[in-house]
Amino acid sequence: MNVAQQLVNGIIIGHAYALVAVGWTLLLGAARLVNFGHGQIYMVSAFIAWWVMSTTGLPYALAVPLAILASAALGAIMQRLFLRLTLSQDLVNLMIATLGFGQILEGAAGLAFGPKPETFTSPLQAIIFTLGPVWFTAQDTLTVGATILVFLGLYLVLDRTRFGAAVRMVAEDPPLVALYGIQISHVYISIFAFEGAAVAFAAVLIAPRTPILTSMGFEQVVMTFVVVVLGGIGSVGGSYIAGLLLGLFTTFFSALVSPAYTTASIFALLIAFMVLRPGKLAASGNFAR
Amino acid sequence: MSARLQVRNLRVAYDRNLAVSIEHLTVEPGTLAAVIGANGAGKSTLINAIANWSRAAPRLSGEILIDDRAVAGKPADLLARRGVVLVPEGRGVFMGLTVEENLRAGLSAVNAGGKTYSLADIYTLFPRLRERGTTPGGSLSGGERQMLAIGRALRMAPRLLLLDEPSIGLAPRLVSLLLETIRALVDGGLTVFLVEQNVHAAMAVADSLYLLERGRVVASGSVAAMRDDPRIIEAYLGARDG
Amino acid sequence: MKALPAPLRLFGLAALALLGFFLPRLLGGSSHVYDTFGMIATFSAMSYGLDIILSDLGEISLAHTAFFATGAYAAAILSVNDGQGAWVAMAGAVLAALALALVLGMITLRTREFAFSLVTYAAAVVCMNVAANWDFLGGSDGIVGIPPLTLSIGPASFSASQPPQFWPFAYLLLLLTLYVVHRFRRSRLGQAALMVHMNPRLASMCGLAGNQVRLLVFLVSAPISALAGWLYAFQRAYVGTDLFDTYFLVLMLTGVILAGRRLLLGPLLGTALLVGQKSFFSLGAYGDKLILGTVLVGILCFCPKGLANLWRRRSHAAVEK
Repeated sequence: MNVAQQLVNGIIIGHAYALVAVGWTLLLGAARLVNFGHGQIYMVSAFIAWWVMSTTGLPYALAVPLAILASAALGAIMQRLFLRLTLSQDLVNLMIATLGFGQILEGAAGLAFGPKPETFTSPLQAIIFTLGPVWFTAQDTLTVGATILVFLGLYLVLDRTRFGAAVRMVAEDPPLVALYGIQISHVYISIFAFEGAAVAFAAVLIAPRTPILTSMGFEQVVMTFVVVVLGGIGSVGGSYIAGLLLGLFTTFFSALVSPAYTTASIFALLIAFMVLRPGKLAASGNFAR
Repeated sequence: MSARLQVRNLRVAYDRNLAVSIEHLTVEPGTLAAVIGANGAGKSTLINAIANWSRAAPRLSGEILIDDRAVAGKPADLLARRGVVLVPEGRGVFMGLTVEENLRAGLSAVNAGGKTYSLADIYTLFPRLRERGTTPGGSLSGGERQMLAIGRALRMAPRLLLLDEPSIGLAPRLVSLLLETIRALVDGGLTVFLVEQNVHAAMAVADSLYLLERGRVVASGSVAAMRDDPRIIEAYLGARDG
Repeated sequence: MKALPAPLRLFGLAALALLGFFLPRLLGGSSHVYDTFGMIATFSAMSYGLDIILSDLGEISLAHTAFFATGAYAAAILSVNDGQGAWVAMAGAVLAALALALVLGMITLRTREFAFSLVTYAAAVVCMNVAANWDFLGGSDGIVGIPPLTLSIGPASFSASQPPQFWPFAYLLLLLTLYVVHRFRRSRLGQAALMVHMNPRLASMCGLAGNQVRLLVFLVSAPISALAGWLYAFQRAYVGTDLFDTYFLVLMLTGVILAGRRLLLGPLLGTALLVGQKSFFSLGAYGDKLILGTVLVGILCFCPKGLANLWRRRSHAAVEK
């Protein structure tokens, strides 16, 4: 086994996990909301970018922002639909509703794009850097760099801006937010738009690694969930570190043990965490930076 | 000159229980009106209804006019931006935001209608807050927290400041300090509607008084007139004066 | 509504049950109709497993596809690999589901709300992964060649290979499930579950151990979905990883929510509407997914208490006028 190469792969995959999960970190930490349509937005974003490139011939660099915009709108529409459930803090129904929304996306994508796997490629995948015993692509470099930037950006926005303060306010005491003159529905919709945009960004960077399928959303949520929980719910820095460690863990697990049971091993990790630190999950919705 | 706040036939109910029923209530601009009454008389329900805000979900009916414009049913955040600013009882600031973040977080419209207080104005008013600028709201003392709650409300250029029991849980010295500061603000032109359980403290600073019992106004008038009202003396002042 | 005297009510119920049994024949009795009714009965039995978690315990278990699949896989392995009869397969399905529910119940004991849902969701994904990779479970090919359902009681033996012959079994399972859910709601456990859900603090003051109640309800609910899976395995003669598809999950959830929660016949009506659409007005697999998702989101956004409540509200409004 080329340990150095596995290490590099783990770091790349880890950043990918973290980037897919960053929207959820905000969602769960700020608003105690979850989105079971997360994986389907990931899938739809990849398909939108692929579709734009293959039908209009636009380059990858233009397809990326289009897919991000579309998914941000999708996130906003989703939250607008569910606003009544969110405002009444009907979390049980909200969860089911996001699951239904994911089902709508999957059905619609199936009708629009068909059941065949498609190849969605980025020109950056062809650029390969070799450093002694290890190699990686320009796409990998972009993924890692973009992830770091997104996490830094989110941290700064939460910490330094009025909007970040509003998000923290919603996390702490939703009714009180109105007395500060802030329309809470706007904050919720923005959070969901960010969730959509973030997962779309992740999708356009990561999906080119494998063929894309309209059924690929199902499993995405699991890794995101584990990243967010292990990182400490709502912790931006924690999610980044958890994603990175999970990437290394899965890379070495699949190299040394078995690639087929990676998801199962992640689940075992989650259970171990829950048994060792049960309070972490039982206490829900505390926002920490 | 028209009244700053007029309330007509206001009824507030939780489920089917009528909590507050007010025929008529007014607050003139630049004055301090206080609502007094026992625990559970509906004081908080009334003041929350004016801001159309509640942690429960009461049903409201009736008329509320701010400067002759009907505002009943308008969302609480819109009212807050238009200068009807409520400082609720108890948790009035965000524990996770620093003092300065709390003071900067409020959002008000250009035409909120009241005097605009800058951050520096608030710090002059409450020097203690300046020292605590980077402290999270959760680490403040009760008195500091109340100052912060009022400070952030002032930052929103209130045309009508609604204060729900600002003295609750504070030491007597702090209560009079806080109420004197509010009085000074009113003398500077601010309009305040105050809910207060501490009748002595309220009478020391208010211009007019409403006595609430079981959700209804049972007596009202200027403080001077109310001081001699037998109902007030009997219920609230009797023990000390007699 | 006035309560009828007990014997009369029993008679009414029996008549209703009998009518239900002959309903597919009254609707033409074609193989397609019988097939649809068989599906409705099987899938609503599956939904009832989730129903008592969702309606009574107030949590969303997303692992019920796994219980359903467990029942189906147990039936397939026992009857294909070991050549066992349907009764043994049935016992195997129940035991396997109980074992899985015990493990999952212990893991999720202290989680609530989204944490509970997420852990159960993750568990379902893991089960699917295991099924897709473990040769014992047929791997990604699944297990084929499940023999026709044959149940023998003493000397009598009943067998089903065609939809019309299958219907009585599915219908019996449905009636049995309805009876169990009905009894559950009146049992001390059912009452305790509701109390733990509605007012946890009061429940603990009354000496109810919330975690124990939750675990027990989980253990009651899993075999219900597993029995539906057991039947479904024979119905389809094949099991595979598609049993874990979110479609089944969303079908269960929508079935429970569509008519209204805590209504005994709610999941049956909901499932009947959904399966009926899929069977008679299908828009293809993707179109059906789209419809299912839209129904679920629509109900939750516009009428979260279910269609029955809409009906009730309307009749209330009529009375008030």
